[in-house]
Amino acid sequence: MILAAENVKKTYHLGRVRVPVLHDASISVAAGEWVAIVGSSGSGKSTLLHLLGGLDRADADSGPILFGGEDLRRFDAGRENRYRNRDVGFVFQFYHLLPELTVLENAMLPALVGLSRLRWMSERSALRKRTADLLATCGLSHRLGHRPAELSGGERQRVAIARALINEPKIVLADEPTGNLDVRTGNGILDLLSQRHAAGLTVVMVTHDVSIAARAQRQVCIADGRIE
Amino acid sequence: MYAPLLANRYLTSRIIPFIAVGAVALCVALVIIVVSVMSGFLEMVRSSGKTLTGDVVVSRPITGIPYYEELLKDIEALPEAAAASPIVETFGLLQMPYGTGDGGKQIEMVEVWGIEPSSLDRVADYASKLYWRKPAGEAGDESAEEAIASLALNNPLRDPMFHRESAGMSMKDDRGEDGLVLGIEISPFNQRSSDGSYRTIDPRTGAQSADYFLPNAGEVTLTLVPVSERGSLGGEKRRKFSVVNEFQSGLYQVDANRVLAPLGAVQAMLRLDSAPIVSTTEFGEDGRPTVIGESPRRATTIVVRAEPGVSALALRDAVKIAYQAFSSRLAKDPTRFTKPPLPDGVNIATWEERLADFIGPVEKERELMRTLFSIVYLVCAGLVLAIFWAIVQEKTRDIGILRAIGASRTGVLWIFLRYGLLIGIAGSLLGVLIAWAVVARINDIHGMLGSPAPLWLKVGSWLAVAGALAMAVRGVRRASALHTVLWSFLSIALSLISVVLLLHHGFLVWDASVYYFSRIPSSLDLFTAATTALGGVIFSVVGASIPAARAADTDPVKSLRYD
Repeated sequence: MILAAENVKKTYHLGRVRVPVLHDASISVAAGEWVAIVGSSGSGKSTLLHLLGGLDRADADSGPILFGGEDLRRFDAGRENRYRNRDVGFVFQFYHLLPELTVLENAMLPALVGLSRLRWMSERSALRKRTADLLATCGLSHRLGHRPAELSGGERQRVAIARALINEPKIVLADEPTGNLDVRTGNGILDLLSQRHAAGLTVVMVTHDVSIAARAQRQVCIADGRIE
Repeated sequence: MYAPLLANRYLTSRIIPFIAVGAVALCVALVIIVVSVMSGFLEMVRSSGKTLTGDVVVSRPITGIPYYEELLKDIEALPEAAAASPIVETFGLLQMPYGTGDGGKQIEMVEVWGIEPSSLDRVADYASKLYWRKPAGEAGDESAEEAIASLALNNPLRDPMFHRESAGMSMKDDRGEDGLVLGIEISPFNQRSSDGSYRTIDPRTGAQSADYFLPNAGEVTLTLVPVSERGSLGGEKRRKFSVVNEFQSGLYQVDANRVLAPLGAVQAMLRLDSAPIVSTTEFGEDGRPTVIGESPRRATTIVVRAEPGVSALALRDAVKIAYQAFSSRLAKDPTRFTKPPLPDGVNIATWEERLADFIGPVEKERELMRTLFSIVYLVCAGLVLAIFWAIVQEKTRDIGILRAIGASRTGVLWIFLRYGLLIGIAGSLLGVLIAWAVVARINDIHGMLGSPAPLWLKVGSWLAVAGALAMAVRGVRRASALHTVLWSFLSIALSLISVVLLLHHGFLVWDASVYYFSRIPSSLDLFTAATTALGGVIFSVVGASIPAARAADTDPVKSLRYD
């Protein structure tokens, strides 16, 4: 298993009110697998994805989340940053691109985060070429200098996917990647993920749409914070 | 490597950072302008004090120093001294040629300096202080008259009313008689223009008039009262003088109170000139007392200029030694009936020591202003903090994205600190430029405030009002609330400016009678500019640090949910 969660618990605190979101949720993902976590709105699927991606921390009495055998709970800040930067890539429903940066800069941003100034000096042109090539495979070679505001929704999500892939992570975590797109554009995005999965990428995708979940190899249903 | 990229993009792609840069620039410019003017004021006090008195002053008030010519030679022989000049200082009454309206004539109480123009020029650049100069060209020559009129308008030191052939340092009038040089502010008819030049005005018409121009034909009466060595007053001495010129030292109190007269004339009026010493026991054949010697002329003050590179303190010490030798030598000379005062009875001080009572408070005022205006730094930090708080709030989602792709807390912190640093540097540099532009042209700006607005500016401002109103109406027609509001506000602001320009007839901000000097100091204090710019940068970073730390602590999950 490349990624596994065992009896994970997560509770949010709204003032003094405790809102349990995940109850002993367990999931395991094999390397190269495409798993869809399916559930209705508020079922806890995005929370589970955030925990798997190291964006959020589970409750203290929660079970472990393991990446390649390493327990995410034991990660220090540096390892946690490296995990988010190199081991996983995120794709969000609302793209979450930085509006001030161009398509090329947005796509290579995770690589810039992981680079020191010295390495940037030596790898600058190689990185630019690699990013441009990646964007070309996403059908965006004509949009490299454009800002996100100048792109369609489908194009923005392609940039977000390129950004998630730039550091060649082992897993892509996609949170409703087609939730903001029409069916045709959404299918294009799923085709892109499918191509990457075919090339060996592990994909964990959250969706509320059963038809989209059907594109995955395996569906995991979640309801009221429990994996069914 | 993402921090520089993002900080630069955040700085250049939004309006808010430019507001922050503007706020920092204005704060920095304000501090620099205020402290530069104060420093310039102090410098003007120093330089004026120095040019009026030289570097070192030897003074023995009332009774003066006998054999001062020998002392002058001794002092000028010093390697530290470049030149020395004798002065007789006293107070007197000056009766002006014009009346007071009640049958009497205007009388001013003045400080009188008896001087030797040529030696004073070597010590204190006397010639450069003379205000009126003879214009070039011949009278009656039309082109020359035009040139003269043009010179008179453009150069206050060339005036067509000044006809004296003997213009220059001579203190003789056209008849060869002794004349006086008055401070430019003594005559109430010398009116200072907004450009700092003087014109002699007819009080009835307000027009330039030769009738009240003293250096051509003005005759004044000077009254002095001699004081004996025992302190008793002698009978007052009155003498008529022509006014041969007027001078401007730049220090208002001097220009409004000081009268310069030939040294010999003042010595004679104060009985400080040479006089025979007669025996009280021996009498000649004619029954008169026998002359047994001569009481020497005296000067109450000797001003000394240092050689270049010699400090005033070093010169003062050398002059003290020279005076001791002079006093000792003459005390031992049996042929001298009159002995010079002992060194303890003579004050020998540098110009700074003489002006310490004035310079000290001004220096303290400058430091006080520097301290008080440093509070502006806090305003600067507060503005940057408020603006950065808004920026971080706006960038919450971006911060979540950065954290989601692996950016560290310190990385996010550095983005915003770097952002604050860039704003501080840009704002401080802009502030220094604004301050330089304002300080360098502060007298022109003051002159503009002191003059009515030109017609083209008035017409232009009303045309701009009409244009803004048209744009506001266009906004109403297009149902655009934003355009309507913005153009309406601009119309109101421009209307107010236009009304002010229409009603503005000039007002004097810098009153020479209050501020001592006729011109506002206009040199940038480089030390203040550098420290203020550095302060602007530091306080910008400090102002950015709290929002930056808040950004670094932002929970990525919450940030990504932020809209």
